[in-house]
Amino acid sequence: MNEAFFDKKEYKPLDRVDGRLKVTGAAKYSAEYALPNMAYGVLVGSRIAKGTIKSIDSKAAERAPGVLAVISHLNVIKIPGYAARGVHPSEPPTGGQPLRVFYDNKVYSNDQPIAIVVATSLEKAQYGASLVKVQYDQQEHQTDFEANAKNAVIAAAAKKNPKSPTADYDRGQTDAFETAPFRIEAEYVLPTEMHNPMELQAITAHWEADDRLTIYDKVQGTKTTQKTFAKEWDVPEQNVKVIATFVGGAFGNGLHSWPHESAAIIAAKQVKRPVKVVLTREQMFTMVGYRPRTWQKIQMGAAKDGKLVAINHHSIGQTSTYEEFTETTLMQTRMMYASPNVSTRYRLLPLNVATPIWMRGPGEATGAFALESAMDEMAHAIGMDPIEFRLANYTETDPDKNMPWSTKYMRECYEEGKKRIGWENRKLKPGSVRDGEWLVGYGMGTGTFGANRGPATVKAELDLEGNLVMHCAITDIGPGTATAMVQVASNTTGIAPEKITFHLGSSEFPNAGLQGGSSTVNSVGPAVQAACNALKEQLITMAAAKSGPDFGAAKPDDIMFEKGEIQLSGKSSAKLKLSDLFKQNNIQKIEATQESKPSENGKKYSMNAFSMHFAMVHVHPFTGQVRVKKIVCCADAGTIVSPKTAESQMIGGATGGIGMALTEDAVMDHRFGRYVTKDFGDYHVPVHADVPDIDVYFVNKPDLLADPVGSKGLGEIAIIGVAPAIANAVFNATGKRVRHLPITPDKLLGL
Amino acid sequence: MDKYKSDIKPEKEDHHESRRDFLKTSSILTAIAVAPATVAKAAEYNLGEKISAAFETTPVNLTVNGVKKQLAVEPRSTLLDVLREQLDLTGTKKGCDYGQCGACTVHVNGQRVLSCLSLAVMQEGKQVTTIEGLAKGDELHPMQKAFIKHDGFQCGYCTPGQIMSGIACINEGHADSKEDIKEFMSGNICRCGAYPNIVKAIQEVKNGGQRS
Amino acid sequence: MIQFQYERASTAKAAVSALANNAKIIAGGTNLVDLMKRNVMAPAKLIDINSLPLRSIEQQNGKMIIGALALNSQVADDKLVLEKHPLLSKALNAGASAQIRNMATVGGNMMQRTRCSYFYDTALPCNKREPGSGCGALEGVNRMHAIFGTSDKCIAVHPSDMCVALVALDAIVVVSGPKGERRIPFDDFHRLPGSQPEKDNTLQKDELIISVEIPDNTFSKNCHYFKVRDRTSYAFALVSVAAALDLDGKNIKEARLAMGGVAHKPWRLKEAEKALAGKPATEETFRQAAEIAMQGAKAFKHNAFKLKLGPNVIVEALKNAAGLV
Repeated sequence: MNEAFFDKKEYKPLDRVDGRLKVTGAAKYSAEYALPNMAYGVLVGSRIAKGTIKSIDSKAAERAPGVLAVISHLNVIKIPGYAARGVHPSEPPTGGQPLRVFYDNKVYSNDQPIAIVVATSLEKAQYGASLVKVQYDQQEHQTDFEANAKNAVIAAAAKKNPKSPTADYDRGQTDAFETAPFRIEAEYVLPTEMHNPMELQAITAHWEADDRLTIYDKVQGTKTTQKTFAKEWDVPEQNVKVIATFVGGAFGNGLHSWPHESAAIIAAKQVKRPVKVVLTREQMFTMVGYRPRTWQKIQMGAAKDGKLVAINHHSIGQTSTYEEFTETTLMQTRMMYASPNVSTRYRLLPLNVATPIWMRGPGEATGAFALESAMDEMAHAIGMDPIEFRLANYTETDPDKNMPWSTKYMRECYEEGKKRIGWENRKLKPGSVRDGEWLVGYGMGTGTFGANRGPATVKAELDLEGNLVMHCAITDIGPGTATAMVQVASNTTGIAPEKITFHLGSSEFPNAGLQGGSSTVNSVGPAVQAACNALKEQLITMAAAKSGPDFGAAKPDDIMFEKGEIQLSGKSSAKLKLSDLFKQNNIQKIEATQESKPSENGKKYSMNAFSMHFAMVHVHPFTGQVRVKKIVCCADAGTIVSPKTAESQMIGGATGGIGMALTEDAVMDHRFGRYVTKDFGDYHVPVHADVPDIDVYFVNKPDLLADPVGSKGLGEIAIIGVAPAIANAVFNATGKRVRHLPITPDKLLGL
Repeated sequence: MDKYKSDIKPEKEDHHESRRDFLKTSSILTAIAVAPATVAKAAEYNLGEKISAAFETTPVNLTVNGVKKQLAVEPRSTLLDVLREQLDLTGTKKGCDYGQCGACTVHVNGQRVLSCLSLAVMQEGKQVTTIEGLAKGDELHPMQKAFIKHDGFQCGYCTPGQIMSGIACINEGHADSKEDIKEFMSGNICRCGAYPNIVKAIQEVKNGGQRS
Repeated sequence: MIQFQYERASTAKAAVSALANNAKIIAGGTNLVDLMKRNVMAPAKLIDINSLPLRSIEQQNGKMIIGALALNSQVADDKLVLEKHPLLSKALNAGASAQIRNMATVGGNMMQRTRCSYFYDTALPCNKREPGSGCGALEGVNRMHAIFGTSDKCIAVHPSDMCVALVALDAIVVVSGPKGERRIPFDDFHRLPGSQPEKDNTLQKDELIISVEIPDNTFSKNCHYFKVRDRTSYAFALVSVAAALDLDGKNIKEARLAMGGVAHKPWRLKEAEKALAGKPATEETFRQAAEIAMQGAKAFKHNAFKLKLGPNVIVEALKNAAGLV
């Protein structure tokens, strides 16, 4: 498209446009709308992992002061969408559907919501919930991954479609590994991890009329949520309004509609008052998804010169018994390195647990831990520098799809990352660098994620004072979507950022998909451009009619705004005051709504963002403590439209990677099928003291084949490859390879 | 093992006895609660939400962001829930409700504390400052400005707690070095991972000699 | 949380006399309110003792007297404490967060309950919470649990850092009850679970902690608190060690050693202390003492690493105390 456009303009760091609202406490999240006559709902969770509910004694709760209702499958009103979905399939073990809350007496996982207590205040609802007594008919449950791994099955999606990314994959010879000169074989385990955004999942549900619902909901897609609940209640989509103006982090758990949302909506209908439900921190572990525990095995073969001969990569991921959840754990293995022989096998293990959901980087981050650890193991086996080893297997085209890359600038990342981390201080022999008592190690890992783009629509309005106001249904879970879109609009029009507003987070606004899969800038950015260009065209038409031929021949790219004037590029004399033009045409504002859709380029090019993370760690040899001393993140993510927020996003991804590598572990007691680490006290996410300086480098070269903004996406690659970089650095420091995350002190004792 | 899988009672549940004893409490004590048994009665006889609320609550006087408040709170209500649900001061956030994340940090009499573990009834006569009370009109507090400048947040949910904590960290004298700041700010979790930027913001305010 | 009565006590005597019928004292509330939210504790009455005059830190007649209501942060930052008992300050700053230390009191820190996951979840068995229901941790997930002084009823650990320093410093707990004051050596304050894990300590139901006394000592120059945890800060100890040495040149005149994260109480290591006395302050000496310290330790399924980590942390703490690092 308009390549020249990017050569002449530069995106500069901009303070977050919603920063003031966030630092003053004025930003409103989904539990912060005070509606008249609002009631509070608290969920009661099951205390068994599998079985049926024999009875629910809610008398004491109902009699407790302020309790308005105790709702369960015993007294729930009819939900039209439930029946339409047929009976609940517990067989076959994969496929299935999301849990229908209060649908019947079946319990599929521990702490499954089985009742909601609604009361006039939060305290009363909480107390009421503690009074509900439930009797169960318990059945034997299976939650232990290792004990059940043999029961893993092929995904239903793969059965249906052999081209599914979860289907079995073979490239070249399947037995090439056996004869490779250097062979490593290793198993890797990533435990269940919890998204644990700081904001507790919350919804305020308000039936404004019998068939008109407004929800203030913590979601990553207002439109998808609107569709889900319109269907559930059999009402027209436009009758469901979803507001998610601010979302306090999500990292994926807003990508699915969950039982607590349905429960709040049911309760609001049943008590005829708005109902607010805020999950407890424990419920964040059991009701809104998680990164599934995943076992992986890699067999890797290579020649003495470092050329890969074969990679066989197997993976088993956990899911629930009622709903299949898959992720593309093995894709990086197929395309990152030039191995002639690659086989991947993806399996699912249904257990009596709740359904997982994509967590930042999702399966790619899980897969990269195994692949990038294995690459490090092989480099060590051959005696090569891990970067040299990777460069020896660098791919100039996608070996999986057999297509050229749209863009790939990883060589720049290797060079810059090496320099910034101080790679020259790394010794090939593990355990040979010390700083006082501490062992010092360096490691790196790479990541990749598809440059995803979906359709998006943006409405833009320009008034005679030069204020540009845009609307789009997209949400922002924290990366700075409004800031980035203001920058795209400013870049397209020349209008100063402070005169541009980007409204998001409402299903009332023009369509956009989910904020997930690193697709927001790639999808909504082009729609912003399109809407801005449509405005320019209207102005050119108006200007040409009033001011002669200069503007008549102009294209959108030829004009820019400056200080309330429209200016024709290259002709400083050709300018018009916006206010004059509007007045001459007797209008207050112009508007344009534009949809932008992915091009056909995906059929010709493999479009991916790439990252490379470098870590320097200290390991205490006697106590096993690991301190990450420095991280360098390099990203080939296309155009960086908002350098300031993009840098923060990378820092955040690296921080998530520190947690993945060193601290995060949701541990279950399988006798009960219940988590024993289930709050911030014992599920450890990184704190200030865990996080060092994080140095971020962007290649910042546009990929205009991916989308007209040139962006390839950032959110996922920020974390993909971080955990193996740290694990590899720990190996370099100690000679000890930890393949079962997290790398807690106990795993490094006895060095 | 079966029995553990059904409901297990909390440590002590039968508190009704002592509730009835309550009216006989010693005069040396400043008794300020009303017998909850009365409340249960009010509810049983359907006396309505407002009447039953009046029985359950206790008056408490405190100053929030410089404004004196006379409130009626249940003894079990936390300062956090009173701020958010009763006073509509939702800038103070609930991130865990158990004192494990710092999102609910406010200043009470100038000290940073966790409002989720503070009972509102225990704040009688105290000065509470929340994030909403930092700016002077349109003029942001230096720490708020520094957070914007250094992009010390992403989703913004932990931000009020980080800012309140950051101000106190300097005032306490625990912001002399980057390492000190990191250690003394570790009670404020940021899942988006804005830590290095938060530290920069605090360092800048500290070096600017700013105090709240 | 249940609805409870709330009262303010204006004297210690009044507080003590109100302690009946499932009443609980509240000061900082950082642990009690948390436990009440989770329905682990459900007192019918809370007695707020914050107006009692028990906040001071004073030096009198060869001992430091720290009021039960002195805040953890106040003690940690106190000039007198930093000068005379820096070990206490270090231990306090290794615990919890700045906000919690601003709320939590010395008495409350001693009274805090275990963080065992089974104790905290009312759906799981726990003899401490519900006597007779069984110990969930014994055959369950017990990575964080005790290696010393366990019983078949309970293998929970006491979570405090402060108490590890106080037991090493031979502190005395002064409590007040209906019969007047009682002085309890710190090591006798917390108890082992035995057959009654519901009892954390030896404080009687009608007693109130008034103060903690620390006798003057000669350890202020060479002391260290070394805490190993699953993240760099704001986490409970896997193992922690309070080490204090009185050095005469390179020789150890007297030593104090206690561990946290290993028992139902702060774990004083008197035999190891004896082994250190009179020996040169070398890594070899420390290693020998650490081996003695670990005698009698018994691990469970997931915490065997503490048998290895424990002695290493003892050595590291002593090395730091002696200035060898």
